[in-house]
Amino acid sequence: MAGTISPDQILHEMADLWVSLGKQGEGEAGVLRACSMTFVVAAEESDDPQAIGETLAALMPEHPSRAILIRFQAEDQRELSARVFAQCWKPFSQRQQICCEQIEITASEASLPDLAAVVLPLAVPDLPVILWCRSPRLYHLQTFPQLSAIAQKLVLDSEAFGDPGAALKEMSAALASGRALADLTWIRLTRWRELISQIFENRSQLADLPRVARIRISHCGGVAPAAAWYMAAWLIGGLQQIGSRPQFNLESAGDEASGELQSVDLLPQDGADAIVSIRLVEGHAAEVRVGGLVHRALLPRLTDCALLREEFSIAGRDPIFERTLAAAAKLAVS
Amino acid sequence: MSLENPFQDPLRFERRVPECLMVIFGANGDLTKRKLLPALYRLAYERRLSAGCAVLGISRTPMSDDQFRGKMCESVREFLEDSPFDQDVWAAFAQGLFYMAGDIKDAALYPALAARLQEIEQARHTGGNVLFYLSTQPSQYIPIAQGLGSAKLGKGEGWRRIVVEKPFGHDLSSAQELSDELHNVFRESEVYRIDHYLGKETVQNILAFRFGNGIFEPLWNRRYVNHVQITAAESIGVEGRGAYYQEAGSLRDMIQNHLLQVMATIAMEPSATFRPNSVRDERSKLLRSIRVMKPDEVLEDSVAGQYGPARIGGEDVPGFHQEPGVKPDAQTDTYAAITFFVDNWRWAGVPFYLRSGKRLPKRVTEIAIQFNAAPLAIFNDEGGGTAPNLLILRIQPEEGISLKFLSKRPGAGMKLRPVSMDFNYGSSFGERSPTADEILLLDAIIGDATLYTRQDMVEASWAVVDAIQHVWDQTKFDFPNYAAGTWGPAAADEMLARRGHAWRKP
Repeated sequence: MAGTISPDQILHEMADLWVSLGKQGEGEAGVLRACSMTFVVAAEESDDPQAIGETLAALMPEHPSRAILIRFQAEDQRELSARVFAQCWKPFSQRQQICCEQIEITASEASLPDLAAVVLPLAVPDLPVILWCRSPRLYHLQTFPQLSAIAQKLVLDSEAFGDPGAALKEMSAALASGRALADLTWIRLTRWRELISQIFENRSQLADLPRVARIRISHCGGVAPAAAWYMAAWLIGGLQQIGSRPQFNLESAGDEASGELQSVDLLPQDGADAIVSIRLVEGHAAEVRVGGLVHRALLPRLTDCALLREEFSIAGRDPIFERTLAAAAKLAVS
Repeated sequence: MSLENPFQDPLRFERRVPECLMVIFGANGDLTKRKLLPALYRLAYERRLSAGCAVLGISRTPMSDDQFRGKMCESVREFLEDSPFDQDVWAAFAQGLFYMAGDIKDAALYPALAARLQEIEQARHTGGNVLFYLSTQPSQYIPIAQGLGSAKLGKGEGWRRIVVEKPFGHDLSSAQELSDELHNVFRESEVYRIDHYLGKETVQNILAFRFGNGIFEPLWNRRYVNHVQITAAESIGVEGRGAYYQEAGSLRDMIQNHLLQVMATIAMEPSATFRPNSVRDERSKLLRSIRVMKPDEVLEDSVAGQYGPARIGGEDVPGFHQEPGVKPDAQTDTYAAITFFVDNWRWAGVPFYLRSGKRLPKRVTEIAIQFNAAPLAIFNDEGGGTAPNLLILRIQPEEGISLKFLSKRPGAGMKLRPVSMDFNYGSSFGERSPTADEILLLDAIIGDATLYTRQDMVEASWAVVDAIQHVWDQTKFDFPNYAAGTWGPAAADEMLARRGHAWRKP
């Protein structure tokens, strides 16, 4: 197909695909179809299609979906084309194949207004639609809201936006307008946050928490990344709950451009040693110093697949994220 | 007012784990090396333990803390399944491992233990929370409980809990005696009787399947269920445990605890909440509703078996009597099949067939719920429309759920064939599932006793089993009565055939 595509035609091709898969499985244990959502991925033409395909394939066993990958070409003609295939896997030691549908649509920027009418009938009835927009440029296209309106949740990555402060402000505004959002940058912080929270599950450490008067966060790169603003806002929010009003510093720990956090210190008023200190070591582990004890926990940089897997495990909205995003946006622009 | 951790995020974080010092009695034993330490390391690897978590191992062998750490490191490396070993994580975890040598029966051990606990608590900030884990021979449970009581270790600044491995006694009266001794030191809510079957994902998934969905529960009763089969088959023999096993047998070793707990989970009434005591109340009520057999019913509705020698896959396999450590005339049941009935409105008249055995054709544990046939057979026999609907919940080796139903064969004519709709736990959710040991250990540290067995449940299941065991003890069986590698004695097939049923061959 070239020029235009018909959702009916795509659905028909999918039905044919299942018939042919069924024939291949004849005589063996057959083919099982699995689906828990419609997952739409909006990507640039320059995005590595193999990497996206690998992410989708890795997500399938845990979150089987009808995946719709839309690759945008920077052309002026309103052209759309599509192909349909299946992602199948055989669970270890099983004869039966499990398959998910994947639809790949190639679209030009100019055809963006036509896309929603194509994607909407392709969404699996009664299941959620999640849209992962991999490119800030696409997100900023004027007609993008027409496509994103069909999704119950929009997944973005503020780390990919050029200006972290502006990105947080923009996302916060979208949130305030009622749009359900997820940010991969926030999800990358889950392990850091969990480490900090676990420290204060210990009652003697928790008793020390009101002594925290200052938060020091260091990061790679010259400009404070969205992750640092999120972390600061989240820590301040937690401390405010117990009546503290801590100060905070964001410090650059080097010129590397990754925007990753390097350390988080919770400090007392008197300039004494940190009450809690967490430092990234060897790039994949955190060294935690608290109450005279030093221990290590793995803190690897997570793949897109691992981040999406975490997000998919949350059925509805995430009030802690939403609260923190609003606070982080305020901090970043103040 | 006590301060609450303001950083909790229940949507994204794992469950909250308090600081804790775990004391393992029998620290040099197989269970500790193969299961406990690998599970604890795995929890540390997954960042599930609190930072100050500590373990104090106790056994008779003299060893320093460092020697113990070295030994446990070897065990973890050897027995860690589906997980990488990370040297840095181990190094941090090992700082919290401690050891003291001592004889469990020596009264001097316990005051020394109290002093050591205090020392470790101060160094690791464990807040006085102590979990005692009895990984010893069952005969040592009572001396340990008495020792802990005499040193006043059952109470302290934080919480105190004790984990006990099965068997919980060898009959009703010994189970009550053990319980009384434990209750002299710990409250019932502090006693965690561990049943590894209840920690398995699929057993927990039974609760999700039954009570999280609206469509199955209306079918879950005598009106629609024809009968239930619960099978726990092992392909191996007694594997060097002949001396222990000949005193236990399949009825005591498997049915009294694991299979009756599984049956209770399948048949219990919906719990009002998912709180530990609420779920356990329902399990307990179900166990108390199982009809206790009269002696003549035992002969009708139970079958004891023992495997004889056979040749399997070109290899000679010994019979039970030929196993090392087994008396040549041992009357031990290596196979047991029982028909139970539940005397309540939901299940009256529905047979629950439970079987467990060693040296059966394959290792499999599953629950099969067979539904009644359609009230009117409108398709003729040629059409193949007679296979019953079956719901199969597989517990091991591959955890999952299958629903078998009839479907029309494609093409002309109305010919039906059974098809299976499968949900495979491992493949449908690609992440590694935590092992039963990990789940249960974490539950004990958190204080969630939902998957642990309560004393009233233990007593109810012993009451049911004692009635059978008593008759069996007085019976001279003509053993062996099944060949290794077969599905058990013919009498077990006849037991089902009398009610028009047949065992599934999983």
